[in-house]
Amino acid sequence: MPSCGSEPGGCGQVKEENPLTMHEKIEAMLEKVQKAPRYTGGEMNTAVKKWDEAALRFAFCFPDTYEIGMSHLGMKILYHGINSQPDMLCERVFMPWVDMKALMEAESVPLFSLESRTPISRFDVVGFTLQYEMSYTNILAMLKLGGIPLKNAERAEDDPIVVAGGPCAFNPEPLAEFIDAFMVGDGEEQILELNRAILEGRRAGLSRMDILKSLCRVQGVYVPALYDVSYNEDGTIAAMKPNCPEAPEKVMKAIITDLNSTYYPTEIPVPYTDIVHDRIMLEIMRGCTRGCRFCQAGMLYRPVRERSLENLVELAMSLENATGYEDISLSSLSSGDYTCLAELIRELIRRMKEKRVSISLPSLRLDSILKDSLEETQKERKTSLTFAPEAGTQRLRDVINKGVTEDDLIEKVRDAFQGGWSSVKLYFMMGLPTETYDDLDGIADLAGKVVREYFAVPKDQRAKGLRVTCSASVFVPKPFTPFQWEPQDTQEVVREKQRHLVTALKKVKGVNFNYHESDLSYLEACFARGDRRMGRVLLRAFEKGCMLDGWGEHFKYQAWREAFEETGVDPAFYAFRRREKDEILPWDFIDCGVTKEFLWREKERADAAVTTKDCRKGCNGCGLQRFKGVCSFCG
Amino acid sequence: MMAVFEKSPRLRHIGHLDIQRAVQRALRRSGLPVSYSKGFNPHILLTFASALSTGYAGRREIMEVQLEREVSPEAFLSAMNAAMPPDMQLSEAKMLPDQHIALMAAVQAADYTITLTDDAAAAAIAAKLPAFLAQESIIALRRTKSGMKETDIRPLIHTLKAEGNALRAVMTLTERLACKPGMLLDALAAFCGFEETPRVMVVRNALLGADTAGALAPLETL
Ligand code: SF4
Repeated sequence: MPSCGSEPGGCGQVKEENPLTMHEKIEAMLEKVQKAPRYTGGEMNTAVKKWDEAALRFAFCFPDTYEIGMSHLGMKILYHGINSQPDMLCERVFMPWVDMKALMEAESVPLFSLESRTPISRFDVVGFTLQYEMSYTNILAMLKLGGIPLKNAERAEDDPIVVAGGPCAFNPEPLAEFIDAFMVGDGEEQILELNRAILEGRRAGLSRMDILKSLCRVQGVYVPALYDVSYNEDGTIAAMKPNCPEAPEKVMKAIITDLNSTYYPTEIPVPYTDIVHDRIMLEIMRGCTRGCRFCQAGMLYRPVRERSLENLVELAMSLENATGYEDISLSSLSSGDYTCLAELIRELIRRMKEKRVSISLPSLRLDSILKDSLEETQKERKTSLTFAPEAGTQRLRDVINKGVTEDDLIEKVRDAFQGGWSSVKLYFMMGLPTETYDDLDGIADLAGKVVREYFAVPKDQRAKGLRVTCSASVFVPKPFTPFQWEPQDTQEVVREKQRHLVTALKKVKGVNFNYHESDLSYLEACFARGDRRMGRVLLRAFEKGCMLDGWGEHFKYQAWREAFEETGVDPAFYAFRRREKDEILPWDFIDCGVTKEFLWREKERADAAVTTKDCRKGCNGCGLQRFKGVCSFCG
Repeated sequence: MMAVFEKSPRLRHIGHLDIQRAVQRALRRSGLPVSYSKGFNPHILLTFASALSTGYAGRREIMEVQLEREVSPEAFLSAMNAAMPPDMQLSEAKMLPDQHIALMAAVQAADYTITLTDDAAAAAIAAKLPAFLAQESIIALRRTKSGMKETDIRPLIHTLKAEGNALRAVMTLTERLACKPGMLLDALAAFCGFEETPRVMVVRNALLGADTAGALAPLETL
């Protein structure tokens, strides 16, 4: 292994077992598994640090497969961020696929890191990123495979400290029993502070509990064991109180005010094998000012912080030089809103021409200036264009504050068809608050109008092969959104609505309709707004073999239902119940920047189908204005 | 420019297309003046003397890159070694004359080390090797586009000997005709009466071409 000196199989740190044996076992397994490159490591720009020279070793665990995890920008940023510290080391760990996992269990090979093939139990810190509720069973599977006790209360003094961050950490309660410390908010600086605190604690010989208490001084860190929760008779929360002086009543998320001065890697790993997003992802800004009421990310990542044009161009150049990637995509929640977007794209195209790098925008804005420059470089890339009207009628789009009008959409679609595109994807949600069957019919109407626009372009001027794909996902109410009090549609209602849509869209020629089973969204709803009691369901479901729930073929709905029954937890309480204004919500102890008062105000406006303006046009008082100099739009 | 590079055992499960893409990206990182094809989807003008199968490692694999202007082999080597992953380092680079025959057409044979993981199987094969080679013809099955095809691999085996628990084999490898390690092993397993083909680790040591006298020699030396 080039990453750890002469000795194969892990730098001599594997003590219980002959290192050669574990290495050989892994090599033998790789001969048998489906996709061995998931486990080989050695990719360009992966860290080659000496185990013995690091004072703190961090296992960065992505609770999904290699292809998914390696496509995730946040992981790459934090991975290199930790490794940029001279005394810290970070290695990657992914969820092994079923075939590999079975072999590992049979051969008693513990879950290991890709770089040095070290069992995760030997790291000081084991960190999970929480991107999606339905990856929670994978976290338990990875801990178990790594030989780390699942429950934080059962971990010994020298077990690794298990931490977790990412968007789902904003409602950490369903994982409260399993994770030692959560990191809420922007991670770049926070993760280093957390590592420092752990390192200091270890050096000072503090007990595990005292180290955890000391983490409370890092902004955005939440240690669940330091809080007690009591419940009312109706099952709602009566109180959540810290049980020690170190733990703050409210956990304020970590915020990086200036992205330009924070860490961004100038090299990122380049995998050998195909992954989902195999390109440079350039985060041009964080946060979104649009205020769509269903969108959790839009609230969690406030305020909007833009990277400067100079900073971005420089980053793009050094990333290109370090990776050799052929594509750069601009990444953010709504790239079209970036202040100097046209200049940025023109500058990137100019600088990247020689290297033949193509620039792609996730949500394409077809302004006339952009059109020309794009056409120049992307002649061959007429893949499908994606639009997300989210709802079928203007009334419902007003309810969810999605500032797209039908005219906007049709105009963009017309531009696209005239520009030579023939394939359009339309994304909708069903089950949004106040939705009626008229709104569903609106989806079919809109799809029909899109088809008509295509045929309105003269035959010899349009590309052949019209493809309009309509997707409708099931709405999942999320914490820290104006819809956090709303019930989700029951599965019966969802199925009825899906049947209705299928019939309505059948009548529109040229449209493909996609929808998903509602079971997964239902579970997602339970976890998204779950409390500590959902942890019992999670554990039971895991014991019943649930794992890789996000991968259709492995989703065991029946097992989940049994898990609810056996633990006496009622899923309807979490998914289908309307919350009262004054109910204590499980995530109320977290301050995400946006206040509960603002969210309630937005909920009331939604009920009245009144829109709220984009706050680039004037502050709406979401709560970020409480902090001086944090939001650049609130004056 | 022709270059010799390694595909280390760690990367043996990486397929040829992925290796090709990794080299392309390394070339892009290297800052070398590579040539691109014309047309809608420009790609780097890069060829390999021979694709190496998924599952095999290679000690001296050979690629050829077209450059826009002259670069010394030394400069090429150092730029590429800084840009290639640690498991794919280059050991040699050399300028090719303007008019040379395609590398792919020049390959005549390859030299393999085939290590058996099971010592008993290795010993059994070593014992039977003389008898195996004494056969007049050895019929092996080869997968082709039109189904399985029978091939006599005896004339394709140039040398085959046991080295500890490994086999060292030099076998024909041309675009038309080849005996791959898998075919050899199947035939050996059948000859020794094994129920299944033993597990092995294959390293391709060198690609061979024919020198002016017709003798096999490493391609990069010709
Ligand atoms: S503080 Fe005002 S301007 Fe800033 S994000 Fe909140 S509402 Fe928008």
